[in-house]
Amino acid sequence: MEVCNIKPTQSTPEIVLDPTTHTHKIKGESYPENSMEFYKGVFDWLDEYIEGLEASQEVVFNIELIYFNSSSSKVLMDIFDIFDDACESGKNILVNWIYEEDNEAILEYGEEFAEDYESLNFHFVVLD
Amino acid sequence: MIKSYYTFQQNLEREGIMFSFVGPVSHNVVEGVGTVLRNKMQIEAVSTNVSLKVFSIFIEQIQNVIRYSADRIPEDDLDSEISFGMLIVGEKDDQYFLVGGNRVSQEQKDRLEGSLYKISKMDKDQLKQYYKEQRKADPSEYSKGAGLGFIEMARKASEPIKYNFERIDEENYYFTIESIV
Repeated sequence: MEVCNIKPTQSTPEIVLDPTTHTHKIKGESYPENSMEFYKGVFDWLDEYIEGLEASQEVVFNIELIYFNSSSSKVLMDIFDIFDDACESGKNILVNWIYEEDNEAILEYGEEFAEDYESLNFHFVVLD
Repeated sequence: MIKSYYTFQQNLEREGIMFSFVGPVSHNVVEGVGTVLRNKMQIEAVSTNVSLKVFSIFIEQIQNVIRYSADRIPEDDLDSEISFGMLIVGEKDDQYFLVGGNRVSQEQKDRLEGSLYKISKMDKDQLKQYYKEQRKADPSEYSKGAGLGFIEMARKASEPIKYNFERIDEENYYFTIESIV
């Protein structure tokens, strides 16, 4: 599999999905004109990646968003649903939810995601 | 015609309006104006929390105008959707107010009204639950996003959303939604 590398714009995040390091990231802002369309490639990539993932492999997903709109929130939920299912079938995925200390909204929305999943673990990381 | 543009601007400023826009909106406007708004609040040392609440409501309102205004240029002809509507951001009595407006059909009004009424009566906990519920549900056939925009606006605001449908003619209404932070 190839690395998926999407450069950030004013309204879309930087995305790096790396099948060799198994450390992935979504970083920046997310309010695309059409969220479903923008993230379609990410879903395609993840489907193939999770399919071929060994259960023993540790996977880290770093989510470092400053702001995301409501349709991006739906997309994030769909991504976490995929991870949660994968964890249920024995895979080892951790989400690092990275936020600036004064960004309460992002922390709150992260906690709301965390409380909805049983198998997928969220780790909260505050930036200095 | 407007006799004095200076008076026109002064009238807006007297109402606390710092940004007003009437006309065609596309995603470029969303990015451009959104960024200016955020920079302005940063310079004025508005807290990150408040400025992100204002920004968040601005984005949901303007993206709603783009997606749902009844006045639009068909997408097929363009790289980016263009719709017509109104956006206002102001500051008065230490509060920010944001207003979005656009024309809707009778049919759109009938669909929106029930859901807006429901959202306007909910407290923060109910809004959070409703947001999560709706996020899990499949968006309705009329939604072009996730169907969460109004709930998001209500969650970020400090007062219940206010909305209005002003009758234009037999088929059409001018829809406005107002949020306060």
